[in-house]
Amino acid sequence: MAQDSRWRRIGHYGARALPGWVVLAEGVDKMVTGIESPVTTERGLAARLRYLTASDAGYEAMDRAGIHVRPRTLIAWLAEERSPSRANLTRLDAAYWDLRRRNVVTDLKRRLTNHGRGTRIEIDPADQSQVATRHRRDVEMRSLNVRGLVWDRAVDAWLSHDARELEAIWDEIIQGGLGTDWDAYTFVSSVGWAA
Amino acid sequence: MSGDQLDSVEALLEEARLAARMPDPAERLRLREAAGLSRAQVAAAVGVGRQTIANWESGVTDPQRPGRVKYLRLLEGLAQIHPAPEEAASLPREPQPGGRSPSASAAASSVPTAASWDFTAQTAWRSDGLAAQGEPGPCVRCGVVTPFRSTDGRPLHAGAMCRPGTAAPLAAAAPQHATTPATTPANAPAPAPVVPAPTRPPSPSPAPPSGERQAQAPSASPTPAPLPSRPQRRAQSAARAQSETGDLIARAVHEELQRAEGDADAALQALVKRAIPDVMRLFEETRATARYQYTAYPSLPDILHKPSKREPDQIWEARPNFHHPHYSLKAPGDIRVTALDANAAYLSALKCWLPIGKLEHHSGSDGVDPKRSGVHLITPAPWTHPHLPDPLGDREEPGALWITDATLRLLLRLSGPKYGLTDPPTVHESWTSGATENFLDALRKVLAAARETALAQDDSLTEGYVKAMYSKFISTMGESVHNREIQRPDWMHIIHSQAYANLWGKAYKAHQAGLEVIAMMGTDELHVSGDWRRVFPEGRGLAQMKIKYSDTAKASGEYTVGKVTG
Repeated sequence: MAQDSRWRRIGHYGARALPGWVVLAEGVDKMVTGIESPVTTERGLAARLRYLTASDAGYEAMDRAGIHVRPRTLIAWLAEERSPSRANLTRLDAAYWDLRRRNVVTDLKRRLTNHGRGTRIEIDPADQSQVATRHRRDVEMRSLNVRGLVWDRAVDAWLSHDARELEAIWDEIIQGGLGTDWDAYTFVSSVGWAA
Repeated sequence: MSGDQLDSVEALLEEARLAARMPDPAERLRLREAAGLSRAQVAAAVGVGRQTIANWESGVTDPQRPGRVKYLRLLEGLAQIHPAPEEAASLPREPQPGGRSPSASAAASSVPTAASWDFTAQTAWRSDGLAAQGEPGPCVRCGVVTPFRSTDGRPLHAGAMCRPGTAAPLAAAAPQHATTPATTPANAPAPAPVVPAPTRPPSPSPAPPSGERQAQAPSASPTPAPLPSRPQRRAQSAARAQSETGDLIARAVHEELQRAEGDADAALQALVKRAIPDVMRLFEETRATARYQYTAYPSLPDILHKPSKREPDQIWEARPNFHHPHYSLKAPGDIRVTALDANAAYLSALKCWLPIGKLEHHSGSDGVDPKRSGVHLITPAPWTHPHLPDPLGDREEPGALWITDATLRLLLRLSGPKYGLTDPPTVHESWTSGATENFLDALRKVLAAARETALAQDDSLTEGYVKAMYSKFISTMGESVHNREIQRPDWMHIIHSQAYANLWGKAYKAHQAGLEVIAMMGTDELHVSGDWRRVFPEGRGLAQMKIKYSDTAKASGEYTVGKVTG
């Protein structure tokens, strides 16, 4: 579809929506669970430090997040003799969630692939309640099954924050499953699935 | 003149003779169908309407003039051609070539029975893909004339187009068991289907030969029972759900009980654990033929989002916590109070107006519509009845609040002419969608039926399982990690509010009947003074109330309160 089609200029008549791939990535994000307590609490900090120091991957994650402290500092944090600075707390949180995401990727892929059956997603179209009646389009809620291979690629792209790839995957999903109407679902108000 | 009189006497005698041998209604039907006549044909010959013949054959009315004599004469003639089946049924089950008049065997061969159904015959297809045709003749399966041919050249409906049973009343079929092999000699090479199944009784049903009055009952009419191979149209998804999903529950209970080797406690634990996926499966089953496609993951307005796991969203469900200000446990007195419990309150509350699609925003009272449901921002009118609980629950902060559609409907009802208890609330804005009241009705009916059966059989296992299913279905249908199949916090709130509104209705009923409402708390607790059995039936059914006993609360079972003075 041409770049200047109605559905590409989503806000032109007042429709409100998000790019489908963003909502898709947020949905994958929501599937990741981990330590509930915030890093600012003693409990949350201790749990994060324990998780990050349990494996080599944890130290690598701290490296990537920009935590460059001496071993004694880390030991002092673990022993709760000292507490990290505010900047380091933020980095620890980032390092924890970075590692957590990497560690649950296999599980996410397994859940989404669902023994080869894939997972059915429900797509809610753009919110047109603010659009003048004469400009409104008749777009329905749709649902379609997304196969495991697509999910694998989507999860990988989500992990590496590859927006371009995610966008390509989203276009592929809607072009493959929604028929001629697909362009209306480039921008959506929500995407949901059970996995 | 005397000759005419004699003729009329003769006619009367003839009529009396015929009437004395008048067959009973079932036999009338059998005779007509055995001869292959339609009601219209008989009606035209006799000179009455088609419906009149139908009435005579079903026993609704007895043959009357003007058609009476002609009809009786026809029946007598038919009875000679097609004698009652008792002799035929008692015949030995061997081929009887030539044992029957040609017309009889012709009529019989045109109506094969279900038992003699020829499953081996195959439709012949031409090389161009169309069904082969020939001289029209009665189909070997159903007896209806067809031009299509089977592979061995006999007439046969193409594909699975014939409908066995409807064209072949079993009354006519009964005597024909014996004659089938003789009348269809071409079947001889195909052994299996031709021989009537030996286990099948020769006269499985209908048309008791002599005139028993019960033959007139519709249940005994010779209409054949529907064959299982024919799909039945179902009028309601609820009916279908009940028939097909009811035994899913029984099967799950049986399975877990076997796995736990009879240990009921362990089985109940396992059942509670699997209640969420099971109830979602049940829900899907009940939706199989449903009309509306609902949105399971709509984008939600911010008011329905929980800011964090522990904080609630902004919807006020109007949970009651009412204690009559004039009575107290501490005050001295001996007013007898009974704590009552509404049975399975959340199960009943599944019947409520639920929004089907994504919620849409309306400002002002534009979103208030009997066919829509959702959540509304309102400013309530003050409640001025100290004897009755506030339908909005015990809200302490004043001002506008978000309530669900169930509460709004209650408030609007109470402000209407029938109740006139309060002013209507001011609606500021709404998030609503088109709604239906029957959305979860099929599920509710299945669960209610299972619960009722379990209670009747004293089966606490099934009862506990059903309870876990409906309560967890409601509590996890919002934003819960335990149930990702559906994310409708709006539904959850509306169902909760509906339960509270139902309880308010019970409190009002008690109040109207002269009982004093002492307290109304939680989902299902109603404390009243006075003779409550006059108002509510006692029991564990959905429409009944039971006395609530509690180990911890002081106000439990039957207790006494005093009147607060000053």
